Amino acid sequence: MKKYTWLTLWALSLITVFTTGCDKDDDTPTPTFAYQKIAEGKAAGTDFKIEVYSNEELTTGYNPIYIALFDASGKRIEQADVSFQPMMDMGMKKHASPIENPSSGQAVDGYFPGAVVFTMPSGEMGSWTLGVQVQANGQTGTFTTPVTIKEPTTSRLKSFVSKTDGAKYFVAYLQPKQPKVGVNDLEVAVYKASGMMDFPAVTNLTLALEPEMPTMDHGSPNNVNPTHTSGGHYKGKVNFTMTGLWHLHLTLSDASGEAGKLYFEVNF
Amino acid sequence: MVKDMKTPLLLGALALVASPVLAQQKPIPADSVRTIVLQEVAVVTKRQDHQQHLQNFYNANQAATTEELMSRMPELSFIRRGSYGMEPTIRAYSGGQVSVTLDGMRIQGACTDKMDPATIYIEPLSLQRIEVQTAGASSMQGAAIGGSLDMKLAEADFADERKLSGSVTSGYQSAANAMMGGLRLSYAAPTWGLRASGTYRKSQNYRNGRGEKVLYSQYEKANYALSGKFLLQDDLVLKADFIADDGWNIGYPALPMDVGQANARIGSVSLVRENSDRRWSRVEARLYANRIAHYMDDSARPDLPIRMDMPGLSRTSGMYVEGTTSPGHHQQLTVRADASASYLTASMTMYQEGQTPMYMLTWPDNRQLQSGIAAQYSFQVGDKTQLQLNSRLNMSDFAVTTGEGRNQLSVFGYESTARQFLIPSLSLQASRMVYKKLKATLSGGFNGRTPTASELYGFYLFSQFDGFDYVGNPNLKPEKSVQSEFTLSWQEPRLRLQATAYASRVQDYMVGAYNPDLSAMTIGARGVKIYYNTPYALLAGAEASAVYNITGYTQLVSTLRYSFGSNTDGDPLPMMPPLRNITSLRKYFGDYLWVQGETELAAAQNRNSESFLEQPTEAFMLWHLRAGYQKETEKKVWQLNAGIENIFDVHYREHLDWGRIARPGRNVFVQLSVGF
Ligand SMILES: [Cu+2]
Repeated sequence: MKKYTWLTLWALSLITVFTTGCDKDDDTPTPTFAYQKIAEGKAAGTDFKIEVYSNEELTTGYNPIYIALFDASGKRIEQADVSFQPMMDMGMKKHASPIENPSSGQAVDGYFPGAVVFTMPSGEMGSWTLGVQVQANGQTGTFTTPVTIKEPTTSRLKSFVSKTDGAKYFVAYLQPKQPKVGVNDLEVAVYKASGMMDFPAVTNLTLALEPEMPTMDHGSPNNVNPTHTSGGHYKGKVNFTMTGLWHLHLTLSDASGEAGKLYFEVNF
Repeated sequence: MVKDMKTPLLLGALALVASPVLAQQKPIPADSVRTIVLQEVAVVTKRQDHQQHLQNFYNANQAATTEELMSRMPELSFIRRGSYGMEPTIRAYSGGQVSVTLDGMRIQGACTDKMDPATIYIEPLSLQRIEVQTAGASSMQGAAIGGSLDMKLAEADFADERKLSGSVTSGYQSAANAMMGGLRLSYAAPTWGLRASGTYRKSQNYRNGRGEKVLYSQYEKANYALSGKFLLQDDLVLKADFIADDGWNIGYPALPMDVGQANARIGSVSLVRENSDRRWSRVEARLYANRIAHYMDDSARPDLPIRMDMPGLSRTSGMYVEGTTSPGHHQQLTVRADASASYLTASMTMYQEGQTPMYMLTWPDNRQLQSGIAAQYSFQVGDKTQLQLNSRLNMSDFAVTTGEGRNQLSVFGYESTARQFLIPSLSLQASRMVYKKLKATLSGGFNGRTPTASELYGFYLFSQFDGFDYVGNPNLKPEKSVQSEFTLSWQEPRLRLQATAYASRVQDYMVGAYNPDLSAMTIGARGVKIYYNTPYALLAGAEASAVYNITGYTQLVSTLRYSFGSNTDGDPLPMMPPLRNITSLRKYFGDYLWVQGETELAAAQNRNSESFLEQPTEAFMLWHLRAGYQKETEKKVWQLNAGIENIFDVHYREHLDWGRIARPGRNVFVQLSVGF
């Protein structure tokens, strides 16, 4: 009897300690974006059907665009050269915007991925069209569709006039898309306006990052300044110590000194 | 002699008893039991010293809180952030350096600002006694370098004849316009007993020595304690205890935040077998669990740019088994095995109008598993010498339990947050009658302690003490201490004198270091400090006490203490209590009335820590007057206690009081109780 009493007690004890002892692991998986069809039609001069997709509504800033191509028989074309021709018609003048054409002629999961950086929203100022030029199976043609570009609630595209060369630069915010308290990947892309129709990626800048919480006037530790990877994309790390409104201050410099300063808002 | 006194009826007094470890087995000589009063409450200072040294220390203010009772002990000081929830320190060791347990049960505070030490969950009405052990002798309770404080719960009783007894108490204090009410009911039967008590306290903002109201010093609380005892076999008892403690509207004048609500639920079941004929004369096994919820906010404070809510939650479950045996003649061995698991989480949400709420985990969800085995071996060598060996091996395992928590800490580059610690401790103590009634006791040993959750994982915890935000460091090493203590005591029936000197060297002493690269999170903070291990710190000090029964009706009690601490660079450590003396003279007028005068003296503390921007504290001297009167009718015992504390309305603060907030000025208290 006595032995059992003690044994029971020990057993109970162990149960208490170890049932309450399970660790939770709630790392959320990276969300996958759905493809959203923006437009479809025939590319003039070909018998291809072109479908234009994005992840979300098109907004001012960096927009990944996916092109699906089908031949006359409705078969998916996996090999093609695709390029984008965004155009803003402002009545008096027209201008294009920075683009990233699909880097390979080979479709990825059936889509040709690229991106367009729309530099302003559609509206009274003017309207956007997106031209998609395809070259496949010996045929070349362009499909042009009007697109509506909305201004996002928080701006994802900033511009400045460089103090060093006087040119206008566009800086697009790519990451973090789903900011969290902790270490986040930071990615921006920088383009230069060489006239109205040409916006080459800028690859030679040095970026300094300083996150700030404007309502509380503090920053965060151990951020990593974005450095150039390829195609005008700069990647670094931004750390958030809490949720709320943050300003990501970026100082951009080239070989001859500071070119400009700007900040992106992150609110989560 | 006081022998004439009806001991159990001296309800107005608090006794401070230094009982030797061996005395637990043999009855304490009658002359020393005389003054163990305040119902069952006695404050016990367990010395490594084997000679008995008994002190009675009076505290006629029975409406006092447990903290106020303990603050009379020379080994204890309190870090005060408000009138409520003062944090106990033992010989200037605080926080994770001391082990504070409730009847052997671990309770982790749920407040990142240490507003809720475990001492608040027990009211004098349900307190049996307090055991304070210093240095090595604390290893039975836990891995600590600064000693242990254990509060024993009052138990239900058995009685051959079924009996209901109880008491009703009510008190008032003028400085804080505070009232308290208490009720105790006990039912005793031959094979079972129940004891229930409840205490309610409501305290307003108190007035300091200048007559100014100290804002945000109010509090209100209710505490319920229930304990049951069942005789299963002749020598086997099953006990069950439950405590519910709810506090609300608790102000902390020295902090930027108050507590809207604090709830504690503490429960345990235990089996105790006591039988001197068995090989193990006493065996106890206990299972316990507790949950502490703490809601801190600044809604009462005016004109803040940002509002904050800081809730915290702590859950602990654990067990221990303890057994005592006598392996040989004049030998006693107590072994203990304990284990516990604690879960902590705390967060902060800041609100500013028109902005997204700002949220972060101030304690990323974390858990601590700890287990240990400890042994205490005592050996009486001949008539004059006693030896005692204390040892413990403690294992603990800390981890952040959620990905969210780990993500947050990765901001500081902390990739791995899981830590394991193995902490051994060993101490040896020898005492010997050296001359007539003079006994000398020498002890030495080493021990250690793990970092706390705040020290490992704390995330921008603002400390009002030095104005810095504190960030934890999961790479901390444990603190290790080598210490020694020497006590001389003289004991004769009318006079007891005791003096102790101690010194310790703490290796890898943990402290926050200012990192100028980090920007403070809290508005107005001076910067960010990150915990790290400094090479070492030195702590030393002395305590002395005298109990003198001048005549059978006049007693003098005096205590003195001093602490000294310095860091690796020789600079003073912060929060060092200065030289302090409390002297009481009590006179009995017959058996029913006594009057007691008391002085409390503290020297200035001008050795201040520069890195903590600590300010000097001035010396002060206080006078108190207390009196007690008792009347017995056939079935009832009436008691009236009254007095004036800080008679001269001195404007003062103690060195361990945060925020330079003055203590209460003149306080008149009255308390009436009826026992049946
Ligand atoms: Cu708190």
